[in-house]
Amino acid sequence: MNWNALLPEIVLFFGILLLFLLELLLKEKYYKSLTLLGFVTVVLSAFSVLFVGYPASTLFDGFTVTGFNLIAKFFLLAVTGLVLLASYDFFMKKGSIYGELPYLYLIALLGFMVMLSSENLAIIFVGLELASITMYILVGLFKREYFSKEGAFKYLVIGTTGTSMFALGSGLVYGSTGSLLLSLQKGEDPLFALGVLLLMSALALKVSAVPFHFWTPDAYEGAPTPTTSFLATVPKIAMYFLLVKLTVYIFSALPTWSFLIGVVAVASMFYGNLMAYAQRSVKRLLAYSSIAHAGYFTLALTVVDKLLMTSLLFYVFVYALATFGAFTVLSILEKKEGWTHHFLDFKGIAKEHPFLASVLALFLFTLIGIPPMAVFVGKLGIFMGLVKNRLFFLGVLFVLASLISAGYYLKVIVYMFLHEKERDWGTTGVSAGESFALLVSTLAVFFFGLFPSAVLDFLLRLV
Amino acid sequence: MELLLSLVIFLPLLTAGVIAIVRNEGFTKVASVVVSGTVFLLSLVLFFNFDFSREGFQFVTKLDWIPTLGISYHLGLDGMAVSLVVMTALLFFAVFVWSWKIEDRPILYTALFLLLETACLGVFSALDFFLFYIFWEGMLIPMYFIIGFWGHERKVYAANKFFIYTFFGSLFLLLGLASIIVYGYFATGQITFDYLEHAKMGYPLWIQLVSFLLFGIGFAVKIPMFPVHTWLPDAHVEAPTAGSVILAGVLLKMGTFGFVRYSLSLFPDASKYYIPLIFALSVIAIIYAAMMAIAQTHIKRLIAYSSISHMGIVTLGTFALDKDALNGAVYMMIAHGLSSGALFFAAGFIYDRIHSYNMDDLGGLARYLPNFAVFFMISGLAGIGLPGLAGFIAEFLVLLGTFKAHPVWAVIAGTGMILGAAYFLYMYKRVMLEEETISDHRKERWAQLRDVEFHHVIPFVLILFVAFVMGLYPAPFVRIVDHTVKLVFGG
Repeated sequence: MNWNALLPEIVLFFGILLLFLLELLLKEKYYKSLTLLGFVTVVLSAFSVLFVGYPASTLFDGFTVTGFNLIAKFFLLAVTGLVLLASYDFFMKKGSIYGELPYLYLIALLGFMVMLSSENLAIIFVGLELASITMYILVGLFKREYFSKEGAFKYLVIGTTGTSMFALGSGLVYGSTGSLLLSLQKGEDPLFALGVLLLMSALALKVSAVPFHFWTPDAYEGAPTPTTSFLATVPKIAMYFLLVKLTVYIFSALPTWSFLIGVVAVASMFYGNLMAYAQRSVKRLLAYSSIAHAGYFTLALTVVDKLLMTSLLFYVFVYALATFGAFTVLSILEKKEGWTHHFLDFKGIAKEHPFLASVLALFLFTLIGIPPMAVFVGKLGIFMGLVKNRLFFLGVLFVLASLISAGYYLKVIVYMFLHEKERDWGTTGVSAGESFALLVSTLAVFFFGLFPSAVLDFLLRLV
Repeated sequence: MELLLSLVIFLPLLTAGVIAIVRNEGFTKVASVVVSGTVFLLSLVLFFNFDFSREGFQFVTKLDWIPTLGISYHLGLDGMAVSLVVMTALLFFAVFVWSWKIEDRPILYTALFLLLETACLGVFSALDFFLFYIFWEGMLIPMYFIIGFWGHERKVYAANKFFIYTFFGSLFLLLGLASIIVYGYFATGQITFDYLEHAKMGYPLWIQLVSFLLFGIGFAVKIPMFPVHTWLPDAHVEAPTAGSVILAGVLLKMGTFGFVRYSLSLFPDASKYYIPLIFALSVIAIIYAAMMAIAQTHIKRLIAYSSISHMGIVTLGTFALDKDALNGAVYMMIAHGLSSGALFFAAGFIYDRIHSYNMDDLGGLARYLPNFAVFFMISGLAGIGLPGLAGFIAEFLVLLGTFKAHPVWAVIAGTGMILGAAYFLYMYKRVMLEEETISDHRKERWAQLRDVEFHHVIPFVLILFVAFVMGLYPAPFVRIVDHTVKLVFGG
């Protein structure tokens, strides 16, 4: 039994248990301390990643550690830590404190970490479900609000469909090849094809790619905003690391996978970007932008190519940072009485909150893909990878979709900066945790834009 | 010397960071003037140390940046670039001195202009496509906010129009860059963003034809050339004075610079192929924009159209594929940068004093603002190419060079000069001379007007001094520009 391989998960697990017990004993006024304790757990777990020896495997090869898994865990832990720090003040100001919140985030995180550590479809399933069920609860946390319930219910129903597709897909693959291990998959019969198709659909659902995106806008809008910032970032990173693995091992065994994934990607890009124009709520707009991004990311899975995969993982990480930043600014603004994220609410807030407005504008510019911010490098890498593999058509569509997307991000900026203020909102405090999280994500967006080699080279060696 | 170039580029950026942290208005103004002055002096050091007898790029810095994608931090200057760097530094210094008395959010204003300065200097110095593109886009956001925050009535409309046009153009530029980099990958087996590597490559004709168009659209929007010029008058009319100066003086040059640096030397065959297209668009721009200028009653709109007309001369000279014409085109970039900068300063001064750009509200100002009248006159004459000022040498060289191979086009373009004199003199008459039309009430009010102050005089004197030097003794400047011409046409 190699306990060392499980070190980050064990640290996280004991942190969760501790939080669980403390939450039972302590009153609500200790909520902030609990969140900070959760943050400490995350930091410890991230630190322990450094001490894991790799490659290693344990639990009868059900749990493997590779450099690839470890960097994925590190990304997940980093973003979750930021989410925790940015979350507490929102719930305290809103007067709806749920002590369960910190450890729910951590359980979802644990689920993803387990999912990424396994080469076995059954264990991947267990990890994925641990995370998904936790996220259904997280979305529905505002029990008294209609939208929160609606979002959670939709997410639950559609998500469960995805789960069953994943289970059935794994079953069919097992039936065809006689193994659940990723590395042994080389079937050719229709059974195998059907299984792979189901697996693909299940994962497309989890990353909210068209045509399985219906839950996304409602779940994003219904969830408390800090939870949305979790929902839009951590699962994305985890799912794409998983998808890269699955693409290499399983999808590429199917002759038509490239075409199927290409269609899903193109549909998501254009659907997401065009629908975003129709939105009146900035939170929903960002949800559609995440559907569009799911399209960009999926584009990189159409071929097994080192450059494409590396750029994809880099892109998804920096995208997560920028999206996290944008949602955090929204959650800070939402602390104001009566704030609904409607466009009209954003009119002229730059006068009142020049700092928040500029930070949000910065993240939106980042998402457009304007250099020197990091997303540009991700887009460039994917584009270069596509043309390198002679997928010129997809490359051109990718650029076109990026161009289309500039308009709606810009609309938010225009409302914030160039419109006159219509209503006095009163002030909103920015808590220490929020400002720290914003600072880190801003600096990271610039740092990875100017010095992307720091991560890119590392990823390139691992993919 | 190599480090000096990086210092010149990034000093404004660092200052922007410092003033954002210090957040003190007095400090901001002093720092902006001191730093932009220093940058100007340092750029002069570069200029005088530039060895124009030696071929190839100078002050070259090359560091690995993103090796995975073949991207490096690669800077260097040729004769054209070093002249444009000096002109940019000069104009930014002038702008900061001019803005000494700005009251509306001076810290943000200064910081945005400093960011803009870094981006502009970077565009002229970058020798790596990725770096070039970062600087190219980097100018977009500061300029957007400068127009959007400090502009006049329809600033939001103008800022959005500016952003959408420019962003649209940039994407074509990006596609063009991508296309040659992809070609480079298939030809040599590795991805490289290095300009010098690509300059050696020699593309087949079909790549040249496609990429030339993609690059060309990107540059044409920025210049702006005839069918995509409509953003410029709006942006100028709504932009604050300093924004207009930089827009006309520096940003428009980025497009023509791109044509000379990238289109001509990377796609020589395509440049020949597209001569009729470019000539037609240029000549249309020269004549049509000049005629539009005559029809305007808004001073800034008039100057904006005159810019489009002058930029037509630059593109004409660039693609005449003649040494003299190219020499003249590059000369024109600098001459126009100076003269249009001075003219927009003049328009801004009128607005500061009388709060109108409309010729119907003006007239007979020369009596009340005598010193200003002199500056305005010289600026205008520099713009229309009076002998003895920089614009004349430029226009003369362009027409001379074009005439050798394409006499008909040169003759048609030459009529633009006459129209140029017409619109400027017409404007000067309506604004400064014509006393009969103004009412007694206005005369009383204008008797109180204050003539140019010290912070107005410095920009005018600096800019016009350089324009005179370049007009009276062009030999050293022509030799510097000749350095680029040699690079393009190979000796």
